[in-house]
Amino acid sequence: MSAAVPIVITGLGCLCGAGMNLAECLESMFRNERNPHPPLRFSTDHPVSYPVLELRDEFRLPLDDQETVYARTSQLALAAAFEALADAGWDEESLRGKRVGVCIGTTVGCALNCDDFYRAYKDGVDPEMGVIERFLRSNPAAVIARQLKLDGPNQTVVNACSSGTDAIGLGASWLRAGACDIVIAGGADELSRVTYAGFSSLMITDTEACKPFDIKRKGLNLGEGAGMLILESEAVRGAKKARGYMLGYGSACDAYHLTAPRPDGAGLKQAMYEAFAAAEVTPEMISFVNAHGTGTPDNDRVESRVLSEVLPDVPFVSTKGYTGHTLGAAGGIEAVFTVACLRRGELPANIGFSAADPELSGAPVIENTRIDGNIAMSESLAFGGNNAVLILGKGDA
Amino acid sequence: MSVKEKLKKVLIEDLNLEDVEPEEIEDDMALFGDGLGLDSLDAVELVVIVQKHFGVEIKDMEEGRPAFQSVNTLAQYIEQRLA
Amino acid sequence: MRMAIQGIGVSGGFGRGVEALRAALQTGTVEVQQGCVERNGGTDIFPAYRASIDGLDEFIPKRALRRIDHFSKMTLLSACLALKDAALLEGDCSRMGVVIASGYGALKTTFDFLDSYLDFGYSCSSPTHFSNSVHNAAAAHVSIQFKATAPSLTVTQFEMSVPSALLSAQQWLAEGRVDQVLFGAIDEYCEVLRYCRKQFFGLGEQGPLQPFSFDKQSAVVGEGAVFFVLTRADENAAYGCIDTVTLGNHLVCPVKLPQDDLLIIGADGHKECGRWYAQAFKGRETAAYAPLYGSFPAAVGFDLAVAALSLRDRTFYASPELSGAATSVVTLHRKLAEEKLVCLKFGPGGDYGLVRLSI
Repeated sequence: MSAAVPIVITGLGCLCGAGMNLAECLESMFRNERNPHPPLRFSTDHPVSYPVLELRDEFRLPLDDQETVYARTSQLALAAAFEALADAGWDEESLRGKRVGVCIGTTVGCALNCDDFYRAYKDGVDPEMGVIERFLRSNPAAVIARQLKLDGPNQTVVNACSSGTDAIGLGASWLRAGACDIVIAGGADELSRVTYAGFSSLMITDTEACKPFDIKRKGLNLGEGAGMLILESEAVRGAKKARGYMLGYGSACDAYHLTAPRPDGAGLKQAMYEAFAAAEVTPEMISFVNAHGTGTPDNDRVESRVLSEVLPDVPFVSTKGYTGHTLGAAGGIEAVFTVACLRRGELPANIGFSAADPELSGAPVIENTRIDGNIAMSESLAFGGNNAVLILGKGDA
Repeated sequence: MSVKEKLKKVLIEDLNLEDVEPEEIEDDMALFGDGLGLDSLDAVELVVIVQKHFGVEIKDMEEGRPAFQSVNTLAQYIEQRLA
Repeated sequence: MRMAIQGIGVSGGFGRGVEALRAALQTGTVEVQQGCVERNGGTDIFPAYRASIDGLDEFIPKRALRRIDHFSKMTLLSACLALKDAALLEGDCSRMGVVIASGYGALKTTFDFLDSYLDFGYSCSSPTHFSNSVHNAAAAHVSIQFKATAPSLTVTQFEMSVPSALLSAQQWLAEGRVDQVLFGAIDEYCEVLRYCRKQFFGLGEQGPLQPFSFDKQSAVVGEGAVFFVLTRADENAAYGCIDTVTLGNHLVCPVKLPQDDLLIIGADGHKECGRWYAQAFKGRETAAYAPLYGSFPAAVGFDLAVAALSLRDRTFYASPELSGAATSVVTLHRKLAEEKLVCLKFGPGGDYGLVRLSI
């Protein structure tokens, strides 16, 4: 594994249950507010209702009524990409002629989750094709490229819950390889009745607001949203200030079980060490960790075990109490938060945590906490045993 | 068909244990680990099986765990809940 | 960075294994199976290229397959065949990355999961079906089977899935993150797919598939899985090498095709994509092989397998179906000298993937 060149991050964009843009998200998280509630955008006949973190408001894209042609996941991806591009000082015009790559993680954005269509099909009705046509138009990475008329590498990563983290790592490697000048990277996912049913069937959703790393944690709350970073080559960046740096990426597969994480966390550790090596940092240099912290008993056990072994005494936080688990978007949103927290020099409290679990080796930050360092880590664990880790650096603006 | 017999049949069918005959599942054989060899994903599928075939709802794994020891314990649990 | 192709495993409408694909290339014919859907009291009969998963239990015990769906079984079979072909079946796979490309993912299982709650209520949603419908489930099964603890990636973006995923495989090898990549392309048939294609294309699904009739809808549904064992090209290649992988959009910046390269186009009877091929290939010596395996997004992987076989056999195989073909389309098998091969795939919006291969 060769060491990687730092990649400058020039723009950040994010929307989720915590806020409609990055500034709103940070404000509500540092006020330690959250708003889980039963899903409003769909219903089920499930006897138990699980709280979710939906977007608080409707959002409108700066497009000529075209948003209706894309599925919600791609609309979310576009909204976060527009915010990040504006933050980096780009628009469609100024991007013209640049080699721009798009690398986006998702789960729902690539799944043919059309249950109303399928119900009609099963009932012997011939359902209309509108929903399928929309699905075929809505591949998240392809939508961003098409909407901004981009020419360059393009990838939609479907590594389940580590997709967003993987997408940022893979996108950065395109820049290092000289395959493009700019990369729009992150993740996007909408709340869907299908994933809601799926996660309830796995019995890893909490009937109350989720409690990452707490002794009484029962499971996750689903969420929705998107988080995007703009990565640039030094040549294109010019004199532009850096919001942060993408220093290194590592990933590894547990090769253990379809849904359960490997109890000894060997895959997560391997991903961490690969990311450290890529970023040429040592564990002592990490000032905090944005943990995966879904609030499921298994995830938090394995994660805290590995964190206490590799990064003992390093403060960590799960921001999923504020955002819910946004699946493929989570890695994107959390990378954005990690860079923003480095910039702010502060971590929000791990909301939902009140009492330590003696079975876990460490505890997350319980209040908003000052941090001093310049380097932080964001990590994701996923279905299928994927582990992905990003090392991110503090910028100068 | 007794609850135990039905249980063995639906376990084989719904968990695709094609290589197992109902007679081979002993009443007190451990369902998980060394016995029948089921795992955590089977456990949540088992919740669905019990709901679907017996109309008995298991709300969470803490409730399910003691019942999921063997065919005996699960059948007893189902019978109690149906009584 | 160049990637060497060390092994291929394939299963599709022509049969299973590289030699079955080679036989289909040599004869130029494949007997298309018949698909059949019973619905609303009627029977819908149509041509379909289906892949068999027979022989998987030679590699993997039945018990280990009990929770694995058809999509992942196709995946595992071709993965095993590829590893066997590369003599790595019993080898150490801890430095082997797994990269999987699929246009739609496990479609049948996606609908099986919906069945579980539509038929029995939400509290009977099947966690097993749900887990297998998640797009990286196939990659997970592969990693578990071969203890491949290196990075794993699944890419889903319709026609561009294969070239896009290949880009990351190439990057991993270049960066030294892995020593091999087990690269797969898979799509599966299901009844709902048939319904959708019938609604969209009507009689255009009846075949025969005519890839060079660019303005005519003639796609015939197919499915299958193909895997490659890829290494850095500093090792001798068993088949040939992938030189470059390029993605772009023809509308934004027209595709640049190297003048002397031989072209394998991914035209598969989709009229919406046909116009792009018509614009791009002008006068170049060209072939299209979709009539051997049918139309599905991951079939780009099959084009790559044909390219790899052509390099190994030093033969540019004749196009199996010539209706509407221009004079530059290759009609007879001919010897390959030092030419490079280029696989070109277009999506309906003009997005393209270009993979260049040579000996």
